[in-house]
Amino acid sequence: MAHLHIQNLQAGYGKKLILDKINLTVEQGEMIALLGPSGCGKTTLLNALCGFVPVSGGEIFAGSRSVSQLPAEKRNITMVFQSYALWPHMTVAQNIGYGLKVQKAKRAEINRRVSELLSIVKLEGLEDEKVTALSGGQRQRVALARALAIRPDVLVLDEPLSNLDAKVRLSVRHEIKALQKQLGFTSLIVTHDQEEALVMADRIAVLNQGKIEQIGTPEEIYHHPSTPFVADFMGAENHIKWPTHDDAFRLNTSNPAAELDLYFRSENAVLATPQAASKDDLNAGLIIHGHVEQSVFFGNNYQISVRCGKHTIQADHDQNLSENTPVTLSVPNNALHAFDKEGKLVAHQKNHAVSVKSMRMNHVC
Amino acid sequence: MSYPQTNSLLAKVNIRYLRPSFWLQCVFILLLALVLFGPIMNLLIWTVTESWYFPHALPSQWGFKYWQQVFNPYSDVSGSLFTSLLIAVLTVVVCLIVSIPAGYALSKRSMPFRIFWMLLFLIPQAFPNLTVYMNIARLFYDFGLNGTLLGVIIVHSVHGLMFSIWISVAAFSSTDPMLERASRNLGAGPFYTFFHIVLPQAAPGLIASSIFVFLESLDEFTGTFFVGSPNITTLPLLLYTASMEGNYQIASITALILLVPSILFMVIIHKFMKPEMLSKLGK
Repeated sequence: MAHLHIQNLQAGYGKKLILDKINLTVEQGEMIALLGPSGCGKTTLLNALCGFVPVSGGEIFAGSRSVSQLPAEKRNITMVFQSYALWPHMTVAQNIGYGLKVQKAKRAEINRRVSELLSIVKLEGLEDEKVTALSGGQRQRVALARALAIRPDVLVLDEPLSNLDAKVRLSVRHEIKALQKQLGFTSLIVTHDQEEALVMADRIAVLNQGKIEQIGTPEEIYHHPSTPFVADFMGAENHIKWPTHDDAFRLNTSNPAAELDLYFRSENAVLATPQAASKDDLNAGLIIHGHVEQSVFFGNNYQISVRCGKHTIQADHDQNLSENTPVTLSVPNNALHAFDKEGKLVAHQKNHAVSVKSMRMNHVC
Repeated sequence: MSYPQTNSLLAKVNIRYLRPSFWLQCVFILLLALVLFGPIMNLLIWTVTESWYFPHALPSQWGFKYWQQVFNPYSDVSGSLFTSLLIAVLTVVVCLIVSIPAGYALSKRSMPFRIFWMLLFLIPQAFPNLTVYMNIARLFYDFGLNGTLLGVIIVHSVHGLMFSIWISVAAFSSTDPMLERASRNLGAGPFYTFFHIVLPQAAPGLIASSIFVFLESLDEFTGTFFVGSPNITTLPLLLYTASMEGNYQIASITALILLVPSILFMVIIHKFMKPEMLSKLGK
């Protein structure tokens, strides 16, 4: 295992550039998640790393080797494919041992390595099964074992959990994470599921339209998104354009005229009915008055759509509320992600734009 | 005025049987059965006939005399059966040698003039057989290929390549390109990948195409007649000669022998032809 270093990478199909100036470093033994919506270029990035998409600019280093112009078979970066791509005419053991057989390893050594990997991925006793006889979760583990068998410099996983059903997905995701910690492989995992990325990765790179929007630890990405796209993608789906020119909204700022894009999560919108009036207005960055439009049961709570003017805000609440109940929403400063109009950048410029009170908010952002 | 009577009759007999369409269907099914099985019945009867003269509907003497004659090791039949099989096997080998690389190349979308190459293999079929083979025979005279095994194998291969190319292109197209990637990803070069991953995936289709070629070669008449005769006698040529001489027993038994591989083929094709491969035919 070695570290992976991507420098100014450009790649695409034909003349269409999918990836533009990607810079990313994966430290040895680290797992980075590439997170983004479909079509953002995350799978193309993996394919460029593995040599399936030609690199038109920039460099890729695996350890100290530059691999960007090598053919796929010389890169020593192995992939767990989304469809697993197991060979149906081979047994489990033949699938896992293939890479070693290619390297002309001795039969005894291949057998030893295969049984070692089978015990690592907990598939002992299945070595002579045909892969077509396995369940989805088992195939996934065979694919992982096959990719690890040749001790690659870097392991990349292309949406490894997307073909599994919800329950298996949860357990496999923990297994992969545990394995990664145990074996310490350098890896990149592609996913469109933010929860998956938060749970599995040491760091997350959010991709949008072929560019990396933000790289950081899961906590940074979740609590301090640096662009509106990241905030929105990480679940802060409530979006308000400030100023709203509406008395129902009140933002604690000394410069109410500053143009801002405000994002926050439904779980951070504290909902209060007129009976139980809220206490600390001071802490609240944003206060909204509105009426209940719809209330949906989510198991542990209710998601309530609140209508205020032309906006509909989602908020979590522990009780069911009937329609048209007047409510007050307050969003604490530290849960409010504010972005200014022009640069889309957050903290620095806005420190000047917004007042002391929102300094706290911006500091957080 | 006889309405009430008809009504009661209709009530007794199921009304379905009185509809004209029902009887029409019966007639068509009977006709179809006659068309399908009539000639075969005639052929079967001829194989167990010792003498059968014109005005009689059935043979006057039944027996297996001609079977013994056919399966006599010194008869023409066993000799030409061997020739036929040898030519068919060698034709399959030639077709596979050409169509495996060609089929793989043509299954790639990036291949230039892909459609042109595929149509090229159809062209010999586009003209009437007779003209094509006469001209081939004319050409082969110059090379001394007439009446040789090699000449016949070449003629059969040209004919068989149409099947083998088109089917193997379909077979290679239906393989999952991700399986190839996975192999390259694990350090295997393009050739190693081809022989260990791609070829086993396409094998069922290639087997099917080989069977087609084998059967076509076994049944081929025109080309063999023009290029091979008189030195090369295959089963269809023997069948032709026997029928021309009025020796229907030998001809019918030979035809039955030719039927065996066709039936075997139906069974095997059923096993190997995948529907997803058929859907890739010609794409």
